Amino acid sequence: MKVLNTRLITPRLCGLLLLISLPLVSLLGLMTGPVFISLADILSITLSGDGGNSQEKLIIEIIRLPRVILSLLVGALLATCGALLQGLFRNPLADPALIGVSAGASVGASVVIVFGSTFTAGGLMLGLSAISVGAFAGAIITSVIIFRLATGPQGTSVATMLLAGIAISALAGAATNTLSYLADNDMLRRISLWQMGNLQGASWDRVGLCALTATFLAVLIPREAGALNAMLLGESEARHLGVNVEWLKRRLIIYSALGVAISVAVAGVIAFVGLMVPHVIRLLVGPDHRALLPLSALAGAILLVAADALARVVIAPAELPVGVVTALLGAPFFLWLLVVQRRRT
Amino acid sequence: MLKINSVGLTISAVPLLNNITIDCPRGSVTALMGPNGAGKTSLLKVISGEHKASQGRVAINRQSRDDWKPAEIAQFMAVLPQSSTLEFAFTSEEVVALGRTPHATGTVRDAEIIIAALAKVDASYLAQRSFVQLSGGEKQRVQLARVLAQIWDHCEYEGDAPTDSILLLDEPSAAFDLAHQLMLIDIVQQISARGVTVVMVMHDLNLAAKCADQMVFMNCGHCTAVGTVTELLTPELIKKVFSVDAEVITHPVQGTPMVVV
Repeated sequence: MKVLNTRLITPRLCGLLLLISLPLVSLLGLMTGPVFISLADILSITLSGDGGNSQEKLIIEIIRLPRVILSLLVGALLATCGALLQGLFRNPLADPALIGVSAGASVGASVVIVFGSTFTAGGLMLGLSAISVGAFAGAIITSVIIFRLATGPQGTSVATMLLAGIAISALAGAATNTLSYLADNDMLRRISLWQMGNLQGASWDRVGLCALTATFLAVLIPREAGALNAMLLGESEARHLGVNVEWLKRRLIIYSALGVAISVAVAGVIAFVGLMVPHVIRLLVGPDHRALLPLSALAGAILLVAADALARVVIAPAELPVGVVTALLGAPFFLWLLVVQRRRT
Repeated sequence: MLKINSVGLTISAVPLLNNITIDCPRGSVTALMGPNGAGKTSLLKVISGEHKASQGRVAINRQSRDDWKPAEIAQFMAVLPQSSTLEFAFTSEEVVALGRTPHATGTVRDAEIIIAALAKVDASYLAQRSFVQLSGGEKQRVQLARVLAQIWDHCEYEGDAPTDSILLLDEPSAAFDLAHQLMLIDIVQQISARGVTVVMVMHDLNLAAKCADQMVFMNCGHCTAVGTVTELLTPELIKKVFSVDAEVITHPVQGTPMVVV
């Protein structure tokens, strides 16, 4: 009998490779940009606090270090939430857009951009601009609406949630388009750039906010790995294996809505990371969430730092929106992996 | 062990079950039989807790079904559904490992149980294969190994098992070839001898006759007849429930009743 192992590498090896890549890619992220800073200077600035010239020191401390850390956190949040949602929907093609978070965030951000002058006077909240606060509010409101629509006396139906998510996203898309139509040229440019995602607004405040969210989720999410595995068999099968399915679904929706809403608020809509990273990890090491969740977080972090570094140099001194780069990098890699996988089976 | 007392079930104003009363003592094998849409699977879902009975009550170990928490009941009750919808590329071994989710017996003991459960259903050679690539019969065997792994301590306990255990099977043999149908009967007999209470939905009357202590004929949500194999396998009852003219003869060697159509 032919024995077919469909896994490409073991979770341990995958984790090791990612752990080696993470600091290398982060250093690359610190080095690249309109001003190139050498590895020696970076090491002396970050480790001993002096060395390099004062300009380089400022660039690292105020611009690049928070930006690299923010990319790490946002990438990890998006990829982990993508993995949670794919498990919840038992569909490897689910992504954060499905629960309406991205569309809702777009409406929120657009409202602030178009009507913003009246209520941006309040200044920054927790290091967030009014646009970020609008995006966060929009994201949370839409996911609550979709969750309520899909929840009846029989519990939450993920199938209804999927359909409600598509409908609400379409509605939110129409609202964003209406706002874009009302907007003047400058506002229009800001809306569309925001929708492509960027990490230019990185600051230590935002890093703090993201780190807090990521820590909170990093404590809670790994506990759900076993139950998520059981969920892949089906909801009733999971129930027969002792999982309290209703509460599990609620927790997963709250975690992913929170994670995605925070990352959208600080970095705009960055497509593809939440869909692609868990999918790639699953093709490499299999669907076990005990490995999938941490490995997705690592890979998402690495992908976003690399994409952001590239976004800064491709058309320097200008910057590409990072969402464009994640799609440009990710889509061909994803397709290549799919072709390889098809040939093997 | 398992008592079903005047259970009725109505979903969206459609009555699916009506006044069903069945008593399944410890270690008994009950076969639920009847035409399509008779309510066999619905009854199984009331027992497994997926549907809440609209009338009457289900008692497990003298305690009402609704009072058991999911995590408690998963320790001793396993359910094999009609078909599986798993679309993620777990290996067969990992699917069986999911059966150990309710238990905290440690990876070493779990690994032993997984190997033994796969061997029990003649699926050891599938251990490293991706579940999604298996044939229908192979998938069902791996799923059977998963539910056996869930109640393994009850199935394999030497002497009297520490606590009682229930296995619900919904058309377990539908996708099996002849040899594996007989393997299933063998497994059901072995574990019921160890005290596991088995309730299964079956279509093959002769296969059920080989291992059932108690047969239940259902029709249109009603319980038409409950009794032993010899009591129920009569041409009159088969005509009444299944609308089929059949002869009942005696197996030349084993002496069990056989239905011939």
